[in-house]
Amino acid sequence: MSASVHTAPELLGETPVTPALGAEPRDWLLLLKPRVISLVVFTGAVGLVTAPGHINPVLGAVAIFCIALGAGAAGALNMWYDRDIDALMKRTLARPIPAGKIEAGGALGYGIVLSIISVLLLAMATNLVAAGVLAFSIFYYAVIYTMWLKRRTPQNIVIGGGAGAFPAVIGAAAVTGHITALPVLLFAIVFFWTPPHFWSLSLFASIDYEKAGIPMLPVVKGAKHTRLNVLVYALLLLPLAVSPWPLGLTGPVYGLTALISSLVFVYYCWGVYADKQDAKGVSLTKDKPARAAFKYSILYLFILFLACAVDHLV
Amino acid sequence: MSIDDRMPPTGLGQTNWTDEQRAEFLRRRRARNLLLLGALAGFCLIIYAVAIVKLHEYGQMW
Repeated sequence: MSASVHTAPELLGETPVTPALGAEPRDWLLLLKPRVISLVVFTGAVGLVTAPGHINPVLGAVAIFCIALGAGAAGALNMWYDRDIDALMKRTLARPIPAGKIEAGGALGYGIVLSIISVLLLAMATNLVAAGVLAFSIFYYAVIYTMWLKRRTPQNIVIGGGAGAFPAVIGAAAVTGHITALPVLLFAIVFFWTPPHFWSLSLFASIDYEKAGIPMLPVVKGAKHTRLNVLVYALLLLPLAVSPWPLGLTGPVYGLTALISSLVFVYYCWGVYADKQDAKGVSLTKDKPARAAFKYSILYLFILFLACAVDHLV
Repeated sequence: MSIDDRMPPTGLGQTNWTDEQRAEFLRRRRARNLLLLGALAGFCLIIYAVAIVKLHEYGQMW
């Protein structure tokens, strides 16, 4: 039998035609946004590995688990709040709540309980600084980004980018008990990486955002303005990404990798800016450069953080 | 009417289910219960492991 009992169009239209059979365990896991978690685990682990000091491997593993759990909890709260607009967008239509697999109240409770567990467990396993930053990151994503900024300003993901930037700080704080320079720089890198990453996506998914009434930059200011901003943020990111090397926080392994991969990112973003377009900036190439930049942006962040960890270990 | 209001009632009280749907409902409920059991057991193990490591390394929990 199909896992989908009734779909969002049915929920938004007439009465559902089939009875709810309840969620699969997989649906509850999907509520945690596993793809986001994988990136969060990675950046958190790099923060933990590159921090000066020592942490027991068991406590380190628990710290990473707590970061993942906290990120998942924030994801569940995000899906609970955004269930109305998720049902309007093709990309999010199949999420457990708009698909009718999990009730909204259940998702809210799930998010709150996991948030509390993740913060308390991290405090128990490591220290209050790491737990405090984790608590703030959940609040930042669920309340500041999701409930406040996302539907109000085209700068939503610029400020919201901070939410995804916390794991490296939490990972490092779990080891040291305070906030040091390198994780702050890693935070800044993720912060400045987020706008070109999401705006590249929004260039080819802007119809979805427009339908849902989300004021993403291409919807409010147009594609041309967005293309320029993608390039500007990529250019700002370049010196920032390399900066840990001249500041003596990392070695040449990271520095050279950051320099090369950042130049490649600027090249991709230049492609977005210079894409064949009409007078309004709408792509005539089905947004091929934006799709390529979006894909590379994920690899780029992975390369930067991996290089940071390798640099620390060699 | 919101999405929440349109969620149909769930449970064995459903009278219009076929045998296949009822069996599917029970299978999903069992799977959810096992997941919850696993999560609770895992949580207990983590607390236990953290307590042992912290008491062994630092001589105190906090």
